[in-house]
Amino acid sequence: MADRNAKVLLEVDGLTKYFNTPRGPLHAVDGVSFTIEQGKTLGIVGESGCGKSTTGRAIIKLLEPTSGRIVFDGEDITHYSRSKMRKKRTEMTMIFQDPFSSLDPRQSVMQLISEPIREHRLLTSKEQIARRTLELMDTVGLARRFVNSYPHELDGGRRQRIGIARALAVDPKLIVCDEPVSALDVSIQAQILNLLKQLQKDIGLTYIFITHDLSVVKYFSDDIAVMYLGQMVEKAPSDDLFAAPMHPYTQALLSAIPIPVVGGQKKERQLIRGEITSPVNLPDQCRFLKRCDACQEKCASSPNPQLREVAPGHFVACHCV
Amino acid sequence: MNDNILEIKDLVVHFETDDGVVRAINGLDISIGREKTLGLVGETGAGKTTTALSVLNLVPNPPGKIKSGTIKIDGKDVLTMSDAELENMRGNDVAMIFQDPMTALNPVMTVGDQIAESIELHQHLSGKEAFEKAKELLKLVGIAENRAYDYPHQFSGGMRQRAVIAIALACEPKLLLADEPTTALDVTIQAQVLALMKELIERRHMSMLLITHDLGVVAETCDDVAVMYAGRIVEIGTADEVFNATSHPYTEGLFNSLPNLHERGEELIPIKGLMPDPMDLPKGCTFAPRCAYATPACEGKVPALRPMGGTHYVACDAYDDPNFRLRRNQNG
Repeated sequence: MADRNAKVLLEVDGLTKYFNTPRGPLHAVDGVSFTIEQGKTLGIVGESGCGKSTTGRAIIKLLEPTSGRIVFDGEDITHYSRSKMRKKRTEMTMIFQDPFSSLDPRQSVMQLISEPIREHRLLTSKEQIARRTLELMDTVGLARRFVNSYPHELDGGRRQRIGIARALAVDPKLIVCDEPVSALDVSIQAQILNLLKQLQKDIGLTYIFITHDLSVVKYFSDDIAVMYLGQMVEKAPSDDLFAAPMHPYTQALLSAIPIPVVGGQKKERQLIRGEITSPVNLPDQCRFLKRCDACQEKCASSPNPQLREVAPGHFVACHCV
Repeated sequence: MNDNILEIKDLVVHFETDDGVVRAINGLDISIGREKTLGLVGETGAGKTTTALSVLNLVPNPPGKIKSGTIKIDGKDVLTMSDAELENMRGNDVAMIFQDPMTALNPVMTVGDQIAESIELHQHLSGKEAFEKAKELLKLVGIAENRAYDYPHQFSGGMRQRAVIAIALACEPKLLLADEPTTALDVTIQAQVLALMKELIERRHMSMLLITHDLGVVAETCDDVAVMYAGRIVEIGTADEVFNATSHPYTEGLFNSLPNLHERGEELIPIKGLMPDPMDLPKGCTFAPRCAYATPACEGKVPALRPMGGTHYVACDAYDDPNFRLRRNQNG
């Protein structure tokens, strides 16, 4: 993030989203801050329940943030009303994980891809809309012969291409990709990842790439943020994070990835014990404490650690680093 | 005593539906040695799960039909067993773990009761004895004994899969069929569960058929690897042979599709096209339409598995040319 000429597209400051439950507030996202420059990709990784999807949804205000500030393209959109936000939705869109449930089964490919264009009245004449839809199909590599097909007639990879075409239909600046390839087979996954990368090169898209798959996120991201129980515990340029992970959770997470290599020297697996704790009524102390091997006495008596910069661009929230 | 716990020969399984015949498995040969783990790799629709169900003779019929072949467990052919023999084999000799632990468990029965149920059925113990044993098994898979009184919804995903493993182990089977056992779990939990499975299998001298699409999981857990495509094995050998002397173009394609953890930003090389429709399989080699090395000859006949040295076999007729090498093997 050292490039001074680069323009910051999105700035998120202290983003918080609590859900009220009978047992107390559930801290889904708890004080997340970051910035993304135009044309870059921020990867957000973490395991189920860490708040990565909620973060993505809160940024484009599909969920109303509890507190914090979201500045998009120089405009503070935190308190935008629904109607004001509607206009913004042409600039920030989303690709969802499951191409099976995110598409209306009763709409044809033509209807599905043209829906955002019609919805936002970007084009009005029927011919223009049809032409634009076919162009979008070309862009995402979906053969024009499928234009009258329905989602159930297509495989997962093609359905995800429809999802991408829908996201592109409004000419967005930012796309939040929530596990866009997790439901796909590896050979299809590679096709979709290449497509997303090519689009970024061609039209300068900015991505927030949410995933649990660390090898995908490394391939894809400029910066990576690791989340645990609603908080960012580490954030760094992709290569730095993989070369020198500092937070004990990041280290364990990286060590848990099964590597598709047989023979050669293998590093000893570092298993973390236990499982993620409940995000309801969290005490003010390190959230990883109970599972942490580096845990020292001072951690138990100290407040919840905040992100601090320990190397240029490398932020960690840990008392022991 | 036979060397192999499981021997499948020339298995053909079709699903006869109103729309046509789905050719799920088309002449499959695999065997698993004693105390060995075989990884069965392939993408959605390759026929991996149908293979596992065939071993238990549990292919849903109709529409599924085992058309021909033999499946021998410890020398006995599953396909000629009587219902009583099958009942006895399932659970006692062979147990299965499914991908989704939530649907595999009964939501209205405590976890302890569910484990005890299979012990009672197969080992003819009293209810109380069986429950005590269930608690021991829970402890073995790393769950506190007092959780035996809890229901599945009170367990996390990782704990549920541990409970399913406890049920599978309850009758000390010789062969464990694990169908994507960790796919629904987070990586750190996956690492815990895989480590647990590996340890238990070694300690109890069991064999395992591990079905997965994740080559990383295979590399970490398996002795041998079989790569499956459109209902056939296209490459089989030890993990070392398949990973380090990859010989089938499809296997190479799978490796090229994986984002490399060590080098970032290079373009991935996906396999072009899609898996063929099992109702309408291409003639000759079923991979030929997607294969970067295919020649017109490939559409002529179905390639048979040919020896590549050691225990390594590959089904690809490009090797008729003795100088043929895959690209990843060309420089070095």
